Amino acid sequence: MIVRTGLTGPAPRPEPLITATRDLDRGRTTPEALEELFERTEHEVVALERRLGFESITGGYLRWPDVFRPFAENWEGFAVGPLTRWLETNTFFRQPILLGPPVRPPGSFAARLPPTLLKEPAQGRILLPGPYTFASVLDNRSGETDEAIVHRLGRLLAEEVAELCGLGFRTFLFLEPWLVVRPPEGPRAEAVVAGYEPIRAALGGASSLVWTYGADGIPALPLLERLPVSAFGIDLAETDVERLPLARQRAGLGLGVVDPRTTLGEDMAEVAKVVRAAHERRRPPVVWLGPGAPLDLLPWEPATRKLHVLPAVSQALGDGGRS
Amino acid sequence: MRSPLFPTQEIGSLAKPRWQLMGQRTEPLDDAAKADFRAWDARTHFAEEMPAERAALLEGRPREVGPERVRDLGAMFAIRFLEDAGLDRVYDGEARRIEMYEYPIRQMRGFRFQGHVRSFDHKYYLKAAVVDELRLERPYHVEEFDFVRLHAKAVPKIPLTGPYTLADWSYNEYYLARQKGWKGRGARRAAQREFVVDLARRAIRPTIHALIERGCRVIQIDEPAAGTHPDEAELVVEGFNAATEGFDAEFSMHICYSNYRDLLPALLEAKQCRQWAWEFANRDTDGHDGYAVLQALAEYGDTREVGLGVVDVHRDSVESPEVVRARIARAVRYLGDPDRIWVNPDCGLRTRSLPVARAKLDAVVRGAALARADFSSPRR
Repeated sequence: MIVRTGLTGPAPRPEPLITATRDLDRGRTTPEALEELFERTEHEVVALERRLGFESITGGYLRWPDVFRPFAENWEGFAVGPLTRWLETNTFFRQPILLGPPVRPPGSFAARLPPTLLKEPAQGRILLPGPYTFASVLDNRSGETDEAIVHRLGRLLAEEVAELCGLGFRTFLFLEPWLVVRPPEGPRAEAVVAGYEPIRAALGGASSLVWTYGADGIPALPLLERLPVSAFGIDLAETDVERLPLARQRAGLGLGVVDPRTTLGEDMAEVAKVVRAAHERRRPPVVWLGPGAPLDLLPWEPATRKLHVLPAVSQALGDGGRS
Repeated sequence: MRSPLFPTQEIGSLAKPRWQLMGQRTEPLDDAAKADFRAWDARTHFAEEMPAERAALLEGRPREVGPERVRDLGAMFAIRFLEDAGLDRVYDGEARRIEMYEYPIRQMRGFRFQGHVRSFDHKYYLKAAVVDELRLERPYHVEEFDFVRLHAKAVPKIPLTGPYTLADWSYNEYYLARQKGWKGRGARRAAQREFVVDLARRAIRPTIHALIERGCRVIQIDEPAAGTHPDEAELVVEGFNAATEGFDAEFSMHICYSNYRDLLPALLEAKQCRQWAWEFANRDTDGHDGYAVLQALAEYGDTREVGLGVVDVHRDSVESPEVVRARIARAVRYLGDPDRIWVNPDCGLRTRSLPVARAKLDAVVRGAALARADFSSPRR
């Protein structure tokens, strides 16, 4: 079994960084001191990712307030809207408001990436909102249909991918919880498949992962299998492996085996068992393991503690996770 | 018909005045804090029963008062603030509480705080995991209630965070670890059920018992997490029933910012719940009738009281009494019975400044009076 591991969303901020961001709000520290701490912490996250043998590094995306903000704040046509609950969690994002046709200023997203990633792009994993999730969460006041927005966001995200590939990035992970939370049907499902086509074209030979979470992945499997991506991931805290249809799947299979909704550590033998069962049912070319949902639902300490199950499972099942 | 028609109440928290925050830190009050203290005291006479503390704070001697007596004064301020607005049921604006999660959890054994989790932007909250058998150290909010009972002229209604919300806002280790095999959806659901019921029986229930022993008659169970997982509405109810069964008190359930239809009919099995205290005004905008959801209660034949949220606690713009009257009238149309309606803000007013909070409470009271006149007239 070929096993790869890595983060599937932003990491939590360690306590000193939380304190520093609060201190900045209260005028007790300077932006320069906070920036220095961000950089130091990103290096620590990268070092952790390397120690754990992850396939690619992220730096934790610690600066992003939420995954949509780099776009809502930088792409023309958008405004930053009200606080909105993120799925069934006690966390919130600011809803992007689409006021007119969105336009992507070149370089604006790259400027929001962790600086440490820009130094080693070939090792970096870029996090992006998937076009369907992005279109689903925004307040669409543009006058365009929701399907047209999915198409349009797919094209713009493809432009980002092309630009980032030009900088040397080789791995892109699209966060798409809405594909399982509210699976699209009919023309909207077709729009999702079409939305990923320009992304596929922009990728060249780079890898693309679509990561779903927050609900049972099985109802969305037929659509996920149609997406032109290297792999798609499902959240095993929500999806029963025994119910996965038997098939030989073309794309890689992502399995969310670390549950960020509990501080309880995963049992290595149990994880290995469930991964083996999923592999037997789907026969994917590659298994990607990671947190089932963004790790920042946990505080830093339990989050990093729980990640240690990934290399252990990778070691037990595969080739050490660095094939 | 009960008298008066459309009685009024608050829902929970108020912003803490600047002088209270400074006083708790034993900092001498600055000029703005002193002016604020004097202005509200002139209006509500909240410090009349604590003249020594008033003098010490205003004369720059906060250490003579000490944090605990400053909190007493803060509670007194909130009681008089709410009474002066004319509410029929009051509490202390949660003047002694930091928030609604951490304090109750700290009164229990079996939890371990894990660190901060982001709520949004740079805002975080401290989150605990249940890691061992859950035990209540001692019933909480009891001294707080004693103070309100001693000083309030209006009927006190205490808010208590409900078992479902305490469980939902915690990590579940102890109960999940007892589940065999892969910790998938079924295991998590079973573990959460055990957790909620234990919280209800071992922590909330003894606290309610102690409060009732002290003379508490009206208890609001806050379950803001109920709307987060609509498919767990039955668990919300199971926790509520386990906490309240057999007690002789008036219980209400406060839920906000949720699709209430998604929680029905499961919620209707909350046996001891006499009143639904829900938010409505926040969604009553732009031609959208925020009160239409009350039809669902009528459809299910539910005849309980409704604590009707008539002012939005997330906006500074103050609703007019006429808007409040119109909202009450719409609710009467949907429910078919004016006697079932209590009038209140959507939720706690802590995010609003005290002048705005007071203006909104004035609108609640004056709007209820207008509606009372409408429905008491012979044309009704």
